Amino acid sequence: MQPLWELAAVTKTFPGVKAMDAVDLAIYPGEVHGLVGENGSGKSTLVKCLSGVHQPTSGRMYLRGRPTVIHDPFVARYLGIATIFQELSLVPNMTVAENIFLGRLLRRKDLGIVVDWAGIWDRSRELLEKLGIHLDPGSLVSELSVSQQQTVEIAKALSLDASLLIMDEPTASLGLDEVARLQEIVRNLARQGCAVIYISHRLDEVMGLVDVVTVMKDGRIVANEKATDIDLNRVVSLMIGGDLRTHYPKERNMTPEVLLLAEGIRTDRGVRGASFTLHRGEVLGLAGLIGTGRTSIAKALFGIEQLTAGQIRRASSAPVARQLRLGSPGAAIASGVALLTEDRKATGLFMNFTGVHNVSIARLSRIARHGILRLRSEQSSAQEHFEALRITPTAGERSVQFLSGGNQQKVIIARWIFSQADVFILDEPTQGIDVGAKVEVYNLINRLTREGKGVILISSDLEELLAISDTICVVRDGRIVETRAADQTDRTYLAERVFVRQAV
Amino acid sequence: MARKVTSSSIVGPVVATAVVTLLVGLTTDRFFMVENLRNLALQVSIVSLVGIGSTLVIISGGIDLSPGSAIALLTMILASFLKFLHIPLGLAVLATVLIGAGLGLWNGVLTSYLRIPAFITTVASLSIFRGFAFMFNLGSPIFSISDSLTQVFYNTIGGIPYVLFYVLAFFAVAAFVMNYTELGRRMYAVGGNANAARYSGINVKRVVMLSFVLAGVMAGFGSILMAARLNSGSPNYGVGMELSAIAAAVIGGASLQGGKGNVVSTLFGALTITIVQNGLNLHAVETSVQGVVIGLIIMLAVFIDMWRVEMWSGVSRWAGRLFGRGRPQEGRG
Repeated sequence: MQPLWELAAVTKTFPGVKAMDAVDLAIYPGEVHGLVGENGSGKSTLVKCLSGVHQPTSGRMYLRGRPTVIHDPFVARYLGIATIFQELSLVPNMTVAENIFLGRLLRRKDLGIVVDWAGIWDRSRELLEKLGIHLDPGSLVSELSVSQQQTVEIAKALSLDASLLIMDEPTASLGLDEVARLQEIVRNLARQGCAVIYISHRLDEVMGLVDVVTVMKDGRIVANEKATDIDLNRVVSLMIGGDLRTHYPKERNMTPEVLLLAEGIRTDRGVRGASFTLHRGEVLGLAGLIGTGRTSIAKALFGIEQLTAGQIRRASSAPVARQLRLGSPGAAIASGVALLTEDRKATGLFMNFTGVHNVSIARLSRIARHGILRLRSEQSSAQEHFEALRITPTAGERSVQFLSGGNQQKVIIARWIFSQADVFILDEPTQGIDVGAKVEVYNLINRLTREGKGVILISSDLEELLAISDTICVVRDGRIVETRAADQTDRTYLAERVFVRQAV
Repeated sequence: MARKVTSSSIVGPVVATAVVTLLVGLTTDRFFMVENLRNLALQVSIVSLVGIGSTLVIISGGIDLSPGSAIALLTMILASFLKFLHIPLGLAVLATVLIGAGLGLWNGVLTSYLRIPAFITTVASLSIFRGFAFMFNLGSPIFSISDSLTQVFYNTIGGIPYVLFYVLAFFAVAAFVMNYTELGRRMYAVGGNANAARYSGINVKRVVMLSFVLAGVMAGFGSILMAARLNSGSPNYGVGMELSAIAAAVIGGASLQGGKGNVVSTLFGALTITIVQNGLNLHAVETSVQGVVIGLIIMLAVFIDMWRVEMWSGVSRWAGRLFGRGRPQEGRG
């Protein structure tokens, strides 16, 4: 059978990163194709190349054997590729039918410019029936559940006679029964001849649904097999890779002295009971999928999200729980907590500032007397940090927007060292930076622990997490379900705990 | 000391001022006459003070459309204090500035704590403040309010009117606050990236509110100059002043996206726009046409603000091709 789409040696590089490395892949009509891999393994880049968001750096793509270039998302739609991204693109205050035909409402044949509402409703009803979706085309999208909205999104994508449907993490926010319903629709589609690329971190779900599994790692395809020929454990071990590829410099600096204690903390958003202890010199790794509460725990510690129960204490000092609970990031910073957020552009960097100003901003009082800044001492103390962290000297005079990802990340770490924090929460500190810069970040973590500071490390890269942490907490559904010393666990065990959703 | 990023370049606004000065100076023979220059100084003083306030608000990521109306209301309040309540001049001036701060507080609280967009809040205030202004003295202007007030305005040292010294003093203070104080740095931070500011422990709401309060204070000082200039208070003063003030800030390089701008450049922005107005007056251009011209200048300034980066890269590409060199690459390491 001729493949619908064929990728031949498709490579995509970003500055400093090879996101896709000579990927060959064939996608057949009527086939549900599972695409799995850790974060940063290149799945999203592949999807974005197919949906016209990115252009491959080299390599070719063939549609039914013909070389094809997907210039932009419109071309992708025209070529029959429909993509459903994690974030839904529906207009909540419109009906299902209006959403399906959004932007290309049918016109009445007799009265050229008048919208043919009857036609839209009929066509919508037809489409929903064909997909086996039981929804009234007239209901408002805002009144539907998330899974129902997802099916509307599918209907919308398929209203253009798509031959390939790409679904990126469609079940991330769904319950188990909703997942089953969604999968039924996907199977139904495949029976009708549509090809489906299905991306999910929930491996047990993927394996139960798909015909073919492709495993990606470091921008390469490491396996492409029939789902019946490969088992879950094998997929997990392929995903996390057999051998250490990066050198992880790790110093053990953990001491028994307690630095911070979280006892049964809960928040309105995502934390449902987490207890852990951070010691001086310790790296405490939080393992878990995105959206399971890792970041929410970080935000609770940093005063962004308010505690509804439990407390956070700094050992051998008065409880600071109240301070943090009532508080604000300002109070958290004052008590020595620092948070390096996962999105450094949105919540970290001030692009209108030089590196120097980015460093001092979280603790201006250190360079101020009576509210008046001493610019010279700001300059010199920031320069010291640049040298210590090996940040490019241009950071001193240019906007941080011109720095590489690694330098930007180090500027923010410098900010928190400057703020004299002793509890460092690092949320995905090595995301989107190249290998060399990663090693520098690991060295920085060592430096922090050597100085008796505590680090809470959040990372989706299990290999990294295991190598750098002293202790690992597995986070699931807003709870810490397991705590282990890092040297008493291994990647396979951890990957199973993290990636496989167990029906409880 | 080099401050390349938080303060945008002052060169552009200075060049703009020079260009309009040349244009107006060469096309009329009256421009450089002492009387006209004095008049120009008086005109620019009020706009530039209000422009300081607008610049602070814009740097902090907001916008203020109410200072023109605030000035009308405050001149009526000051005039009533002096003429009807016979409050001593110093006290009346102080009270007016404080009430100005209060008007700014109103804008600030609505914007930052009740999260009404700054544009809506201050458009509403534009209507409200002027409405209140008309409630004084049955809506009629109040004339001859205080002779000593006018002296404060018109007296000269060596031929230079007092006002000019006030303006320079205010710009010096504002520049100091923005470049050398924690508050100024926080305003830049909040305007540059409010989320990152929050994650850096900055009380974003308070900073935004303070920027509006300071704008209210500047409207207060502007209203005193306004009242002094014509020795009167009027509910019709300050119409369109908010646009001139915003134009001064934007021509001065303040970015409407927030986080970028430079108070001193606003002075040149104010000069540019005032000289254009002055030139149009000297050429006896009709008021209606003047409105169109000022509007177009504001559009041009915002256009330059929006497309500054693209234009620069276009220019440097062109220059690179011309001199056979690539443009400087971004620093990475």
